[in-house]
Amino acid sequence: MNALVKLSAFEAALAEALPEGDLRAELSARGLPHRRVEDWKWSDLRTALARFDPASPALTLTASRSPDRTAEPEHGERLMARLAGALGQGEVYELAPGERLSLDIRAEAGAGHKVIEVIVPDGAEAALHETYQAAPGALANIALVIRVGAGARLTRLIEQDASPDGVIVLTGELELAQGARAHQTTLGFGARLARLETRVRHAGGGAHLTLDGACHVGAGLHLDQTTIVRHEGPDGITRELFKSAAAPGGRAVFQGKIHVERPAQKTDAQMNHRALLLGEGAEIDAKPELEIYADDVVCAHGNALGALDAAALFYMRQRGLDDARARALLTESFLMEPLDAVADEAERERLKARLRASLGAVS
Amino acid sequence: MPAVKETIEDVRRLEADKYKYGFSTEIEQEFAPKGLNEDIVRFISEKKNEPEWMLEWRLDAFRRWLKMDEPNWAKVGYPPIDYQDAYYYAAPKDAARYKSLDEVPEEILETYKKLGIPLREAEVLLGVEGAEDVTAAEARERPRVAVDAVFDSVSVATTFKAELEKAGVIFMSISEALHAHPELVRQYLGSVVPVTDNFFATLNSAVFSDGSFVYVPPGVRCPMELSTYFRMNAQGTGQFERTLIIADKGAYVSYLEGCTAPMRDENQLHAAVVELVALDDAEIKYSTVQNWWPGDAEGKGGVYNFVTKRADCRGRNSKVSWTQVETGSAITWKYPSCVLRGDNSQGEFYSIAVTNGRQQADTGTKMIHLGRNTRSRIIAKGISAGRSDQTYRGLVSVHAKAAGARNFTQCDSLLIGDQCGAHTVPYIEAKTPHATLEHEATTSKLSEDQLFYARQRGLDEETAVALLVNGFCRDVLQELPMEFAVEAQALLKVSLEGSVG
Repeated sequence: MNALVKLSAFEAALAEALPEGDLRAELSARGLPHRRVEDWKWSDLRTALARFDPASPALTLTASRSPDRTAEPEHGERLMARLAGALGQGEVYELAPGERLSLDIRAEAGAGHKVIEVIVPDGAEAALHETYQAAPGALANIALVIRVGAGARLTRLIEQDASPDGVIVLTGELELAQGARAHQTTLGFGARLARLETRVRHAGGGAHLTLDGACHVGAGLHLDQTTIVRHEGPDGITRELFKSAAAPGGRAVFQGKIHVERPAQKTDAQMNHRALLLGEGAEIDAKPELEIYADDVVCAHGNALGALDAAALFYMRQRGLDDARARALLTESFLMEPLDAVADEAERERLKARLRASLGAVS
Repeated sequence: MPAVKETIEDVRRLEADKYKYGFSTEIEQEFAPKGLNEDIVRFISEKKNEPEWMLEWRLDAFRRWLKMDEPNWAKVGYPPIDYQDAYYYAAPKDAARYKSLDEVPEEILETYKKLGIPLREAEVLLGVEGAEDVTAAEARERPRVAVDAVFDSVSVATTFKAELEKAGVIFMSISEALHAHPELVRQYLGSVVPVTDNFFATLNSAVFSDGSFVYVPPGVRCPMELSTYFRMNAQGTGQFERTLIIADKGAYVSYLEGCTAPMRDENQLHAAVVELVALDDAEIKYSTVQNWWPGDAEGKGGVYNFVTKRADCRGRNSKVSWTQVETGSAITWKYPSCVLRGDNSQGEFYSIAVTNGRQQADTGTKMIHLGRNTRSRIIAKGISAGRSDQTYRGLVSVHAKAAGARNFTQCDSLLIGDQCGAHTVPYIEAKTPHATLEHEATTSKLSEDQLFYARQRGLDEETAVALLVNGFCRDVLQELPMEFAVEAQALLKVSLEGSVG
């Protein structure tokens, strides 16, 4: 199982750049995650990057303000996050109450790594807006650690721009203290391979988490939304709603896991994934997973995959809409639901307009 | 919400110390030398007087097995198994020479009687001699079950053989079938679960000792239930049975499987392979009541149940239905699956699994949709108590050519006490837009119409849902032989109340 693998030129160069130590040994022995690694079975990062050249990286981060610190931020335990920590620079932002921080990250060339830590102080309310894009042949590997303090509120919005032939790996770790609230919304369009991973710890009890996502994955693109939510304290609430649509030749992946530990009694968690296959050659893969060790909890998950409703299409055709328009409208109404929950009206309308434009362009 | 009192009591009744089948039978047995090597494989093959090709098949499997790794992805934990520290063949002395029930030693018949499977009485009471006088109508009224009794490594008796032969149904031990119908065995053996399939299936291919063989010819509805009862008796042995069932065009067969083992402090390995083949318009119902010794409350002893079961719905309009009631085994690793190859073929999986003490179960199904308009349905209910851990793991995969495919999956799990775990790991893969797949762990998405109807009749939602879910299983479970049915019914009474995801 742990047999040595033959490294691709990309992996070898990456390992070469690392200082001697466990991480280098691990990467050299196992390479990057691939389809035989359970967590990555539908997102073969190794293959996607095999022909990339990590040399002369160009990764730009445009932030709405300068960071508070640049030294040694947290990056978590995941392999890609550790790589980001070892090879990239770090920035720490401590948000002021009411602050809206925006981070725009673009990989222009090579393999770019970055570690960002965002702290929302106890009782504060703040917003974080991230945008990710990778140019052809470029990798953006970002590790983000977000701490939401006791009773604090965070609104997080992630936009992943279509990045044909680019690769994006975002490992986000959220920690929710007692009574914290976080609402995350993702709008994604895919890349050669895009992995948007969100790991949440309900570290304190009584936190309230909402994870929403909408994606429209065009031909030749791939988008993997992975969420792992751990309820460690009691009385936590989690609501997840992910909607995906894959155009012919597109592939959308959803992996969701809710883990309820023994002390997390009275947890109330719901995870929902709905997906549309928009034509021949589209692919959807899903794994909505529950791991439960507490007996007085309510956890539910639902997953439904299918095509557009033929009757609804027929109805719209009858009303004089051409086939393409009717499909775009139905897909739009299907995908809008997670975006409807975005509280800021201007943001909401902007996101919807982006989605609408994408549907008109691809399907 | 937490489990209700009735549920807790029902589950407690199934706890380890109430295990009724833990006795062992004193009988002179012969063993293969301890350990596993090519000589042991040859020994088993020679014991069964097998043709050369069968020996080669086994040896090929054994050589492959040596190069394979034990799978470790399931959510079960156990100390490394020493595959050299077990007997791979154990049989009552002279077992090969039993020609009829009369020659089977009294101790063995007594064992099966105690297990609720009276082999001799079944034939006498239901009149084997007069079988030709039984009209079709009478046959329907008199539920009869033909039994193949497997004691450790060998089949000791098969009842109702003569009557089944009249209908053209072949029901015998697989060792016997290798001699009587070598062409059928050779054609189908390993065609559903290939020798290379997985670590445990490959091990089984090398050392399988016995099991049942069923062939139902075209257009024949098997006149009675067929059943195999597996009994592990000898200490320090593994059981490796192999079952092969073929339903030819338009045939129908219902098959039941039961298994128990004595209480022992050691862990015993059971690695079975079951292959089902359904040709055009054929239907196979396969039911299991798995009650291997689960180990004591502290996790000492118990059977490691690592089983590969797969059905190939090869023909158009074929159908396979798996029903399992899983209460035994220290560790279960089992995924009865359907490969829906034929257009319009159907696969079903109904499962009730109860774990207690320190049992661990990782079980579920795979539905592989390859043909057009294929349909599958998965209903799985898991109950964990004590310090046990239970995982539902299932795959629904729809390939690009499987237009019109449909799947419905529902899993419910219930935890009793705060020291156990219940997990759900469904995998869903869709490669065609012409498929509809639904996975629900919430009770509200059960057939809305049926639910509405039941609610209208005055049932509360809980009762209505229980009625609907159990309704699926019940009609299959009620077909089980008496002793099995009692056990299964006790499980079914377990309320859905307090179920999570």
